[in-house]
Amino acid sequence: MIWLTWRQHRRQLLVTVAALAALFAVLLPTGLAMRSAVSRLGLEACAGATPPPGCGMRADQFLNDYGAMALVAVLLVVLPPLVGVFWGAPLIAREVEQGTHRMIWTQGVSRRRWALVKLGLIGAAVTALATAYGLGVAWWYAPLSGADADQARFARLFFDIQGVAPVGHTLFAVALGVACGALLPRVVPAMAATLAAFIGVRLAVTFLARPRFMDPKVETTSVYGGKLGWNAGGGDWVLAKEVRQADGTVVTGGMVRCPPPGAGERCGAETELGLRPGAYNYELLQPADRFWAFQWIETGLFVALAALLIWWTVRRLRRVA
Amino acid sequence: MDKVLETDGLGKRYGSRWVLRDCTVSLPAGSVASLVGPNGAGKSTLLHLAVGLLRPDAGSVRALGAAPYSNTAVLSGLGFVAQDTPLYRDFTADELVRMGGKLNRRWDSTLARTRLAQLGIPPRKPVGRLSGGQRAQVALALALAKRPRLLLLDEPVASLDPLARREFLQSLMGSVAESGATVLLSSHILADLERSCDFVIVLQGGRARLAAPVDDIVAGHRQLIGPRHLGEPIGGVAAVVRASHTDRQSTLTVRTAGAVRDPMWTVREPTLEEIILAYLAERDAEASHEAWGVSA
Repeated sequence: MIWLTWRQHRRQLLVTVAALAALFAVLLPTGLAMRSAVSRLGLEACAGATPPPGCGMRADQFLNDYGAMALVAVLLVVLPPLVGVFWGAPLIAREVEQGTHRMIWTQGVSRRRWALVKLGLIGAAVTALATAYGLGVAWWYAPLSGADADQARFARLFFDIQGVAPVGHTLFAVALGVACGALLPRVVPAMAATLAAFIGVRLAVTFLARPRFMDPKVETTSVYGGKLGWNAGGGDWVLAKEVRQADGTVVTGGMVRCPPPGAGERCGAETELGLRPGAYNYELLQPADRFWAFQWIETGLFVALAALLIWWTVRRLRRVA
Repeated sequence: MDKVLETDGLGKRYGSRWVLRDCTVSLPAGSVASLVGPNGAGKSTLLHLAVGLLRPDAGSVRALGAAPYSNTAVLSGLGFVAQDTPLYRDFTADELVRMGGKLNRRWDSTLARTRLAQLGIPPRKPVGRLSGGQRAQVALALALAKRPRLLLLDEPVASLDPLARREFLQSLMGSVAESGATVLLSSHILADLERSCDFVIVLQGGRARLAAPVDDIVAGHRQLIGPRHLGEPIGGVAAVVRASHTDRQSTLTVRTAGAVRDPMWTVREPTLEEIILAYLAERDAEASHEAWGVSA
């Protein structure tokens, strides 16, 4: 069985490894370049509690050069579903479509064992590749995460391409593909169903479940003074930003910063929005130090879903003919 | 005699349509049996039930004494060549033999290699690039290398040209004679089977019309030609299988229960093929005038 699995899937494995190597061939030099830019611009010092003056400008300069990298990062979210579509969906669907299931399931090995060995080996390979991918991207993304609050690694999309979350996503995508292949034993429909179901589940988890993994924290800051600018929020995942009056009524979305009263300057926003004394900025957020907890919860959730799908598939396999 | 394949009231349905029903067959060890019937008669379904690919919806099937669906240990004693001889097309014949060795506890790799060498099959060419006849031979070699006690083949020659068909059946019968395995071979081409088999199962419309040794079948059927027959009983006839009439004359293919001595009838001994065709013709596909929206 091990030999058969290797023989049947070696091409997929080589293509995937080659793709990963190509990805690292891009990530490694750009990652090193970003790191040297960070130290050249002295951005490390800006991450502290009291950033020295000029941090905002230097961060802008960094983002001018490397901000577009975040777009590259966004493209990486398609990798796990691709693995699901090309590794998972054909596993059973191609056998049935070509009729070879009648040959392989009438050898001396039961279908259950056939499925468990194949899925075990493919699962192990996918876990190894996805781990390398997730940690590699996490290393590469670190400078970008520090440079812009909107692109912090905790933010949606950027959270999904690094750390251990891709491992969960990829295992889930493969299991989903295998299950779709058992349900619709035709390769192309199974691939399409895999992609559609994957997108649906991922969106549901990202937008409905993930913000509730842990109770979000509320942070309030006075509209007068307060930190904004370089590394603002320090990598928190901000779920909501509102400006509120002292009694809690919402004035508007976003944040307002006015010079401290008595400084002689008038604050435009204050009069426009009709802010009364005691108005404050309200933030609902998941603090940055929960990043890894969230990564593990996300991974655990998707691995559990994958296990459920595999269990269903192995049961269902007895009725595929 | 030892029965290697027994079905009892076996039925299988897809949705609400029964593709096989009430099928009771028992195949003695050592026989070479052919399973005949038109396309869609349930031949493949019966074979898939026998190798445990399908679960029966009614009745039971026992292959080598066990229910194959719930008892995968039976697989090691069964050789199966599915319809269109499916193989991994990117594997070479050599790799397929190797694969068989990894997946079967009992595996005669020498037998497979010797066979394929004798047939001149290239070992290092993907089987997808071999001819249909060569591919069928590779599939057969894989099935034989399991040294099965029961070998089932689903229309193995359907896609082959007449020459390749004859060569395939010859080499099959040669190796079966050596190993003493029981063989069940399905086909919708009668002529192929007649020469080589000693047991016949006729499926029609999902039901087993006939399942008996060839000798019994030939001895137990007669063709009667005589005056227009209106259904009155004839001495020595157990059942009329098929009747065809002209204005004055009837030709009856009958199952006998003793000798037919009525001088009104001319008695002929039909060939096996004629008997099988009589069973197959007995109930042709139901007309579908309604579905076509035309009047009968």
